[in-house]
Amino acid sequence: MINEFKFKDELFETRAAVSGSEIEVSVGENKYKILSLAPGKYAVESNGIKKKVCCIIDKGKSYLDVDGILLELTIPSDDGVAGGAAGQGGAKDKIFAPMPGKVVKILVAEGQEVEEKQPMVIVEAMKMENQVNAAAKGKVKKVNFKAGDQVDTETPIIELELAE
Amino acid sequence: MDKRYFKKILVANRGEIAVRIMNACRLLGIPTLAVYSEADRGAVHALFADEAIEIGPPAPRESYLSIEKIIKAAKDRGADAIHPGYGFLSENSEFVKACDKAGITFIGPSAESMHLMGNKVESRIKMATAGVPLIPGMKKAGASLDEFQKAANEAGYPVLIKAAAGGGGKGMRIVRDPKDLKDAVEAAKREAGNAFGDDTVYLEKYIEDPRHVEIQVLADKNGNTVHLFERECSIQRRHQKIIEETPSVALTPELREMMGNAAVKVAKAANYYSAGTVEFLVDKNGYFYFLEMNTRIQVEHPVTEMTTGVDLVVEQIRIAAGESISPYVMEAKQRGHAIECRIYAEDADNNFFPSSGPLLYYEEPSGPGIRVDSGVMQGSVVGVEYDPILAKLIVHAPNRNLAINKMINALKDYKILGIKTSRKFMIDVLQHEEFRKGATYTNFIEKNMSDRGDDLIPAAELGAAVSAAAMMSKNGQSGGGPAKAVRQSPWQTIGTWEIGARIGK
Repeated sequence: MINEFKFKDELFETRAAVSGSEIEVSVGENKYKILSLAPGKYAVESNGIKKKVCCIIDKGKSYLDVDGILLELTIPSDDGVAGGAAGQGGAKDKIFAPMPGKVVKILVAEGQEVEEKQPMVIVEAMKMENQVNAAAKGKVKKVNFKAGDQVDTETPIIELELAE
Repeated sequence: MDKRYFKKILVANRGEIAVRIMNACRLLGIPTLAVYSEADRGAVHALFADEAIEIGPPAPRESYLSIEKIIKAAKDRGADAIHPGYGFLSENSEFVKACDKAGITFIGPSAESMHLMGNKVESRIKMATAGVPLIPGMKKAGASLDEFQKAANEAGYPVLIKAAAGGGGKGMRIVRDPKDLKDAVEAAKREAGNAFGDDTVYLEKYIEDPRHVEIQVLADKNGNTVHLFERECSIQRRHQKIIEETPSVALTPELREMMGNAAVKVAKAANYYSAGTVEFLVDKNGYFYFLEMNTRIQVEHPVTEMTTGVDLVVEQIRIAAGESISPYVMEAKQRGHAIECRIYAEDADNNFFPSSGPLLYYEEPSGPGIRVDSGVMQGSVVGVEYDPILAKLIVHAPNRNLAINKMINALKDYKILGIKTSRKFMIDVLQHEEFRKGATYTNFIEKNMSDRGDDLIPAAELGAAVSAAAMMSKNGQSGGGPAKAVRQSPWQTIGTWEIGARIGK
């Protein structure tokens, strides 16, 4: 079975096959022997080292804990299932709320030139004000909300025209 | 045989602190009543209590902050005492009055002491009179921008804008440049208004590189007041504590005694009873300044419990019932070192944005000297309505170095999948050599943690391999369970048989 998983800009192609009680997976030149212990719980052996790894596949994503490091891999073949979150991943020209909340203040105006990391909007969620910054340099194309509006994570608050 | 202090205690809170309080009630043999909102029908605290009652919609105002609904719940179910936990109604003196009026015991201080300490401006004036050292700043809340500008110029920049009704970093802003003062005052007012329903803010001098050290006090209604040493809470992000420890490396035995005595003085000046915390800033020269007194059980109380052996919530309940502080508490000593890490649902790699969603996988660490105060389980859904604290991990060891080691390993063993948590970030803090050295100032994170870059690619590759296996085992069986063994065990090849059956029967 061949699968692809994406972590940031890195794409991993995995080849998995059942081997006795274990599943053997190769990624590039490396081989992993994996024993499924319980839902979400796996024993992994590679290069003579054995460790416990936790993994849950849910809605187009793989959630993992490797040595206390939390990782989220996306599964490109399963794209679209993840909904709004998937749209936010790559696109730097749209500013989304990090989570559903209320717009406190829009810090830029349509037509304004903005720098990367420039504060764009303040959203209140979980009783905290959260500042959302521009992910790239550009020009404000559209502001879809005003202070006081409720926002979800699916509709961009601000749209940018990215500078090349 | 211990007395049963109350017939039933209503816990007016949710999450880990509600569970913590119910544990103390269980210890004392007192039945518990949980209240929960529509969003918390499956919440751990609602399931953990002996009885639970739904009190309204998810919005705190209509459930956990509704004095009327909570008093009614207590009356309907025969609870004769209410423990408020922290946050929500815990520092609302109107709630204390409502309890008094309904003939229900509020497990905490009197409405008067709470009101005094709840107003950060009034309490400062009172404490200055009592001879407790203060930070220079406004003597009263500011009304006009002019007043703020004048006070800022007098105290000298940088200055700090704080909510009069505040706590938890909400409604707080540092201003280094006079031109930013106006925006900061506005933002602080908005945040304070939203968080506490009171947008009064004031200004004081901002002390650079301070440590945040607080003293736990306990006082009863019979005139006994005792302090239970310090907690160092300097490791903060966005002005909220995330790692706390005791003892503090910054205190000499003399300074500890001076601060302890000052804290007792503060509690006495406020006619205080129950558990309370007196917060101080300690500067580099060992001078300390009174900040405020928190009139509730603190999030970080377990580190004090781990080192002194005192159960603070049990003492709160006993004191509320009119008992004197337990004799063992009066003689408590500090033993070993304890650290607490707050497990928040947030993304440390993205400006600590809150993270929400279901906990797809959840496993707590355990072992000698490891305590987990949690309010979630696998399947719990972390919503956007409430404070994003999921749990607290506390460790105790003979000394600070061993406690740090124990905490790092316990954090690694704490498995939470589905949402982002600050776990890895805290591992990085604890592994930092400045933390190890004890250079824990309140700007620690700004100063040391801005440039965190691990090579995650090897871990991600291993993760991809496990994901492939997970997809395979998922495909192999419904419900995402483990792959049905393809192995040929002797039991599978043997055919139908029966234990104890005789061959050839």
